[in-house]
This record gives sequence, C-alpha cells and structure tokens, in this order.
Amino acid sequence: MTEELQIELNGVDKHYGAFHALKGIQLAIPKGAFVALVGPSGCGKSTLLRSIAGLETISGGEMKITDEVMNNVPPRHRDVAMVFQSYALYPHMTVIDNLTYSLRLKKTPKAEARKIAKEVAATIGLENLLDRFPRELSGGQRQRVAMGRAIVRRPKVFLFDEPLSNLDASLRVHMRKEIRALHDRLGATSVYVTHDQIEAMTMADHVVVMRAGVIEQQGAPLELYDRPASQFVAGFIGSPAMNFVDGVTNADGTAVTLDITGAPELQLPRQVACNEKVTVGLRPEHLSISEAGQGAITTKISVIESTGSTTYVGAGDAGKITIVLSERRDISVGDTISLGINTKDIHLFDPQTQMVI
Amino acid sequence: MMTPHLNRIYLGAAIVFAIIYLFPLYWMYVTALKSGSEIFAYPPTFIPKDPQWGVFSHVWDVRGMGRFIWNSLVIATGTMILVAGLGTGCSYVLARYRNIWIDVALFLVLMLQVLPASLMITPLFVGFSAVGLLDYPRFAVILAVTAKAMPFFVILVRATFMAVPAELEEAALVDGNSRVGAFVSVVLPLARNGVLVSAILIFMQAFGEFVYSKSIIQDVNLQPASVGLNAFMGPNTVEWNNIMAYATIYVTPILAAFVLLQQRIVAGLTSGALK
Repeated sequence: MTEELQIELNGVDKHYGAFHALKGIQLAIPKGAFVALVGPSGCGKSTLLRSIAGLETISGGEMKITDEVMNNVPPRHRDVAMVFQSYALYPHMTVIDNLTYSLRLKKTPKAEARKIAKEVAATIGLENLLDRFPRELSGGQRQRVAMGRAIVRRPKVFLFDEPLSNLDASLRVHMRKEIRALHDRLGATSVYVTHDQIEAMTMADHVVVMRAGVIEQQGAPLELYDRPASQFVAGFIGSPAMNFVDGVTNADGTAVTLDITGAPELQLPRQVACNEKVTVGLRPEHLSISEAGQGAITTKISVIESTGSTTYVGAGDAGKITIVLSERRDISVGDTISLGINTKDIHLFDPQTQMVI
Repeated sequence: MMTPHLNRIYLGAAIVFAIIYLFPLYWMYVTALKSGSEIFAYPPTFIPKDPQWGVFSHVWDVRGMGRFIWNSLVIATGTMILVAGLGTGCSYVLARYRNIWIDVALFLVLMLQVLPASLMITPLFVGFSAVGLLDYPRFAVILAVTAKAMPFFVILVRATFMAVPAELEEAALVDGNSRVGAFVSVVLPLARNGVLVSAILIFMQAFGEFVYSKSIIQDVNLQPASVGLNAFMGPNTVEWNNIMAYATIYVTPILAAFVLLQQRIVAGLTSGALK
C-alpha cells in the first residue's frame, strides 16, 4: 500500500543565532494521520510545529506540504490551521466573527460565511454563544472556539500546540476524545504537540519523541512502549516511569546481576556481551509481587500509595523501584517481598550511549 | 489602630499639595474676573467682589483671539496627525523585534527626548531657512514639534503594542492574513486605546507649544495663542485681568477635555486594553 504523503520534512534545521533548535529532522506524515510530537520542554517540538505553520523560517533542509516545497511560503499560503496553547482568540471580535475571520479574508460572501460558521458551531456545541466575546467564555468554551476557527477553514493540515494544557484534568480527558473523534470525522491530517505522553499515546497513530532538537524515536504508540530505542524514550513513555537499575552481565552474557541489596540475578531474554556494565529497565507494571524467595529480587517495601484502583509500591534501596499493582494485596511498609518479572519484559541499555542493547 | 490615622494624615497632605499646585490656576480665574483696582488691592481678595464677566468677549475681540486659537488648533492637529501617522508603525516595529539595533534605536529615541527645544531651535531654524520651509511657518513648526514629541509618543505606544500577545498576530497570519493585514485588523484595534490616548496627549502638548512657534513664525496672523499671549505681556503691562482672561480662554477647553477624559487617559495608559 502506498500512502499519499501530506507533510514531508527532509533534514530540517533551525538555528536561533548560535542555538541549534532543530537538527536534521526527518519526518513523513501520511494523509489522514494523527501525529503527536512529544518531549520535554525545550526539545524543539513547538519550533517544529511553528516551522510547519510557517511562523518560523527553517534554516536548512526541505519542507513539503502535499508535494509542494514550502520553505519560504508565508503561513497564509500553506493551507494549515493552528490551535494555539493560549487559544489566541481575537478579543475584539465576537465568537462568530472569530470563526468567520479566515472566510472573510478569502472574500467568502457574508451570508455563506455565517452559514458555514453556524454549521461548525453546531457540531462543537457553540451555537448559543455566537454573539459573545471571548472574555465572556469559560476556558473550555474558548478552547472550542479555537478549534472551530480551525475547522471552519477545512485546511489540509491541523496543527495543535498543546491545546489542552490550560484545561482542568477532567475536561482534558474529555477533549482528548473529542479532538480525536473530530479528526476522524473530518478525515484531516493533524500534528499535535504535547509534553504529556499520555495525550500522545492515547490520541496519536504515530508518536514522535523529541529531545534537544533531535527525533529520538518515532513509531506507533505501542511500538514505542514495547521497544524503546533508548533509555530516554523508555523513561519518557509509560507512567509511572520505567525503573532503571545498574547491573553487570555475567560471564556468559545470559544473566545480569543487579546493583541493589542482595545482588539478585535476572535471566536475560537473549545473550549479550559478557562481564559488561548495563542499565536494566523494568516497567513498574511488569513487576509482580510473589511469595518471599520465589521472585528474582528480594527487597523491602518503603512506600505504599493507593488510589483505590491502583496501588503504587516503592521498594528497594530508598524506594527507588516502583511497582504498580492493579489488584489489592495484603502488604504494609517494612514487609519483605519478592519481585518477579517476565524475562521478555526486561530492557537493557548501554550506560554510555544510553541506547538499547 | 495606626492605619486609619495614617491614612488621614496622607489624605491631608495630598489635599495640601493639590491646593498648592492648583492655586495659580485659581488665581488666573479670579484675577480675570477682578476689576483693575481690585487686582492691586491689599490685602488681596480671594473672591472677586464685582465679577467682570464681559472681560472674556472683550479680550476675544480686541486681541483677535479667534485667529490665534485657530492657528494653535492647526499646529496641534497637524502635529498629532503626523506623530500618530509616523509613530504608530515605528512603535510597533520597536515593540515586536528584539535585537541590538532595536536597542540602539530606542536609545537614540530617548536621547532626542533629552535635548531641550531651546537648544534645538537654532540648528532647526538654520536648516528650515536653507530649504525654504520658513515660507510655510506653521508647517515648519508642525515638523519641529513632531520631532520633539515623537519620542514621548513612541515610548508610550510601544508599551501598548508590547501588551498585545504575539500569538494573536500569528493566529491571524495562519488564518490567511498578511503581516500588514494582521497589524491592521488585529493588533491596531487592540492597541487603539493606547494610541488614541497618546495622540491626545501629543495634541495637548502641541496646543501649548511656545518655543518653536515664537522663533519660527514672524507673521502675527499665523502665530498660535501661546505666542499671542506672550506678545500681550509687555514690560509695563497693567491689564492683568485681560491677560488672565486670555489665558482662561486659552486653557479652559483643554483643561475641561482633560478632566472629562481623565479616567480614560489613565486607563488607556495603564491597562493593556485586553481581556
């Protein structure tokens, strides 16, 4: 199956003076895809989004939208719509004027522009707010207007710059679903910037993890979860974060001795270099508590936090190993427990390069 | 408690200072209404015994004030339009871009503000004379006052533009507008209050301008009210009531406008006009 590409970035570079914000970004986004750009603040994800929008000029490489080179094309000729973190609603215009702003610029007849805006407003529940000013709306309503303003244009590409970060937690979960549903309904291509890996994992078809101007890894959400390419991605994707424990492989490279009290040994899924220092990654949800002596790692519980549905257990030296339990167990702080893990769930990283072994 | 006590002391001090500041204004009004002998009476009277209301129309006719006020209006309006027209775009650029040249430009703008008019007038006069601008003396004054008032306007309006979030402009760009279009349809309406208030302040400043007008405009028919007032006051003047009546006619409209707009002026200068 050949997929039609909507956005293509070939070796895109961006410099701000001496600061190298984007380094050789290589990204192909097929038509209809929902792509999430995720990473810690300052990783260049917003810069990349703004470069696609045309708000930043790229310093090198090539950027194409539907096979047209866009490097020096101003934003208004790119046919992209953007939803800003602050929503950027025009404060001096009513909701309907905000919605029809782009249509008026395209010289759409007034009656038609109003009709389109009203249709869009009805689909996102704004029909009763059309004559209000942005200052008279709640955060969630403003967010909808910002979305509506983008939808009205029927653009090739939707760009979202952390659109949910100003909403409260429950509304955020709700809007997450709504944005994804909207994307599917419109058959649009969306690029979504977020620092929240849960948003990225739940909404996107394709997740791009960035760090310091470089794409660390990209792929389907579960692929990133199951096969992280580096310690950074492994630690970033998944919540709570993966446990990292130092260790040394044994003489024939089939097991690793962990650098924690009791120096337990874990069998490895495959043979690796022998007598080598490694970082072992263990996901909290892959660890199970078994009867003392039956698991691989014997340790003491130092913290227990229960949310009702899930219990977070801190164990090991200074509680640095986190375990997530979905069933309730009769355990308390100070108990000696034994942790088990499936051999296939063990991740190994090179402590120097931090890449997967 | 200390606080209400202290508040009362501050309030009292404020009132005393206000009285000291406003006394000359009060004296102008009462002197205008006094008769010749009452002006020089000792002890002075604080309320005129026999107010001479006719003094205003008398002075207006005798001194030909209509012409003077008209010239003041021409100079003030011209200055305001020129300053706002040239200064708005300039302030916007100075607000939106950040680099070393912008800092240099801002420094130079502030430097201009430091130079006094009385120092600038000589080179300006020579320059205007060389290019023949002295044949259009009111226009020459407008140019000179514009140059003088521009830094003040730029500093004020730049602050207003800085309060308009850049994201609004970016939204307009992505929505299909050009840089200029985004400025006109989004940034300017949001900065409107600040620009208008600054323009009004420039108008008031130009309406009272004296140094440039006095030096550049020789023809009495083209002189503004400030120069006319100065000419009224000779070394042997005794008609203080007429002079004060002239001053009253000159400043009262501006004063009234300021008092009426006072709240908006303060609001326009302090708030970002947003939210």
